[in-house]
Amino acid sequence: MSGPRTWPAARRPVVVGLGMTDLGKVYGRTAADFAADAVRRAAGDAGLRLADVDGLLTSSGVTGGVSVDLQRDLGLTDLRLLSHMQSYGSTAAAMVQAASLAVMSGTASVVACVFADSPLQPERSAGAVYGTRRAPAGWWGLLGASGVIGANPMYALAARRHMEHYGTTTEQFGHIAVAQRGWAALNPAAQLREPITLADHHSSRWIADPFRLLDCCLVSNGGIAVIVTTAERAASLAQPPVRVLGWAQSHPGHYLRHHPDFGLVTGAATAGPAALEMAEVTLTDVDVVQLYDCYTFTVLVTLEDYGFCPKGEGGPFAASGVLGPGGKLMLNTGGGQLSGYYMWGMTPLSEAVIQCRGQGGERQAAAHDVVLVSGNGGVLDHHATLVLGSEAGAS
Amino acid sequence: MTVGPVTRDAATAEFFDATAAGKFLLRRCAAGHFSEPPAAQCTTCASTELRWEAARGGATLVSWAVAWSRPAAGGEPQPTVLAIAELDEGPWWWSQLVDADPANLAAGRRLRIEFRRADKEHEAVPVFGLA
Repeated sequence: MSGPRTWPAARRPVVVGLGMTDLGKVYGRTAADFAADAVRRAAGDAGLRLADVDGLLTSSGVTGGVSVDLQRDLGLTDLRLLSHMQSYGSTAAAMVQAASLAVMSGTASVVACVFADSPLQPERSAGAVYGTRRAPAGWWGLLGASGVIGANPMYALAARRHMEHYGTTTEQFGHIAVAQRGWAALNPAAQLREPITLADHHSSRWIADPFRLLDCCLVSNGGIAVIVTTAERAASLAQPPVRVLGWAQSHPGHYLRHHPDFGLVTGAATAGPAALEMAEVTLTDVDVVQLYDCYTFTVLVTLEDYGFCPKGEGGPFAASGVLGPGGKLMLNTGGGQLSGYYMWGMTPLSEAVIQCRGQGGERQAAAHDVVLVSGNGGVLDHHATLVLGSEAGAS
Repeated sequence: MTVGPVTRDAATAEFFDATAAGKFLLRRCAAGHFSEPPAAQCTTCASTELRWEAARGGATLVSWAVAWSRPAAGGEPQPTVLAIAELDEGPWWWSQLVDADPANLAAGRRLRIEFRRADKEHEAVPVFGLA
C-alpha cells in the first residue's frame, strides 16, 4: 500500500479544522443550515478563510437535506473537488480518506468534509424518527409487515447471534454503557452527563431484547465538519496538526442474505489491520480508540475485530474494568453516540481530533499520539477505519 | 403479535400469489443454487437466469430478538419476537416468530414457515413457527 508515510512529507494529509455546531435537541434549523455552520466553524478553527476551501465532500443523515448545493449556501467558488458521499455510518471516515487522497495528489488543497442531520422535532420521540419508515408495498413493505423495522431489531438480531455463539451477556453490554456515560460526564458537549450504574442499565426499558434503552445511541440534531489539507499548508495554521496516517474500508456485503459472519465478525476485522499496516503502527502503539457505537454491542464486536481481545471474548473484556475513566483503554472518551452526541461517523472522528490535539480538557488522555477511529454503517454492512497521529506520533 | 399490512407491486406479484397459496418462493439458478428474494442474480454464481421455486418449508433458527413497540392505537408497548431463520435450501429470511416464548429459544431450533395476514385486504406474510 502507498499510504501517506510513503509520500513526500510536505504532501501528507492533515486534519487542521474541526467545526461542531450546537448538538442535540437544537430545534428549528435545517440540516443544510447545520452543515454550512459546521464548515464555517471548521474553517475558523483552522485559521483558514472560507474562500481557502477548494474541495467539499458532503454527507446526509436520515433526513437528507445536505447535498452539493452546500457550495452555493457557503458561497464557495471555483471548487476543484465536490461530491456527496454515502456509506452510512462509515461515511465520515470515508470522506477523510477521499480528502486525504485529494490533497496528496494535488486534486484539491483544502477539503472540507461535513455531516449534518436534523431528525429531532419537538414532541416527537427519537424512536419515531428512525423506527417508522414502514413502506406499504413490495419487498420493503414485506419486511416492515413482518415486523423487521428500523435499526434496533436488526442490530438486536446481530447481537443475539453473538450471545448465542460466544456466551456474551447483556450485563457485559451494560459495562460499555456505564463506561461511556462516565466519559460523557467529563464532556461539556455531551447530551447525557448524569452517571449511570449497571443497575440503571439493567432496569432501563427494553427496546429490542437483548437491547435496553441504555444500549442504544442517542438521536441528535446538528452538524460536524473537518478540514483536511497538506502538512505543508498545515504548518502555518492555527491548530496542532492531526496527521492522517492510514485508512481502509471493508464492506462485507451480507445485508439480508445468508452470511456466516453476521453478528460475529464485521468489516473491522479486515479494515482495522489494513489501516494499521498503512500507518506503519501496531495495536500496541494505539493510545486512544474512538469506535462507532450505535449500540453497546457494536463497540464490543469492533474491539474483537480490531484485535484488542480474542474473537468471542469482547464481553469478558468489556467487563474486566479496562473501560471508562481510570481504565487502561482510552475508548470513546467523549461518551460516544450512546451518551455524547449522535453525528454518525463524525462522533468518533470529532473526539479523535480533539484527543489527538490534546484538547480534551478533563477527559484528555495522557498519551494521544496514535488514535484509532472506526465508522460503521448499515447493519454492520460498511466499515471504515482511520489511524490518526499527532506530530509526535507521525515521527 | 401480528403482521402488518402489505400490498403487492409488479416485482412481488408472483411471490404474493404463492404466499396466498401457502408457498414461500425462492430464486433458483440453473446450477441449482438458491437465493433470497428479491435477488436479481444468483448470490452464489451471479447467474441472472433465475426462476421461482417453492421452499419445502423447513428452517433453522439463526437468531432472534424481541422488539417492543407501542401499538398505533396507543397503550403499553407490546413484544414481537423477530427471527432470522436459515431455510433448509440455504437462504436466510427475516420475519416474525409466532407463538413462541423467547425464554425457551436457542440457535438451531427447528422452525417451519407459516403465513399470516393483517386483514383480508392485504397479502399473506411469511412468518416462522416452532416445528
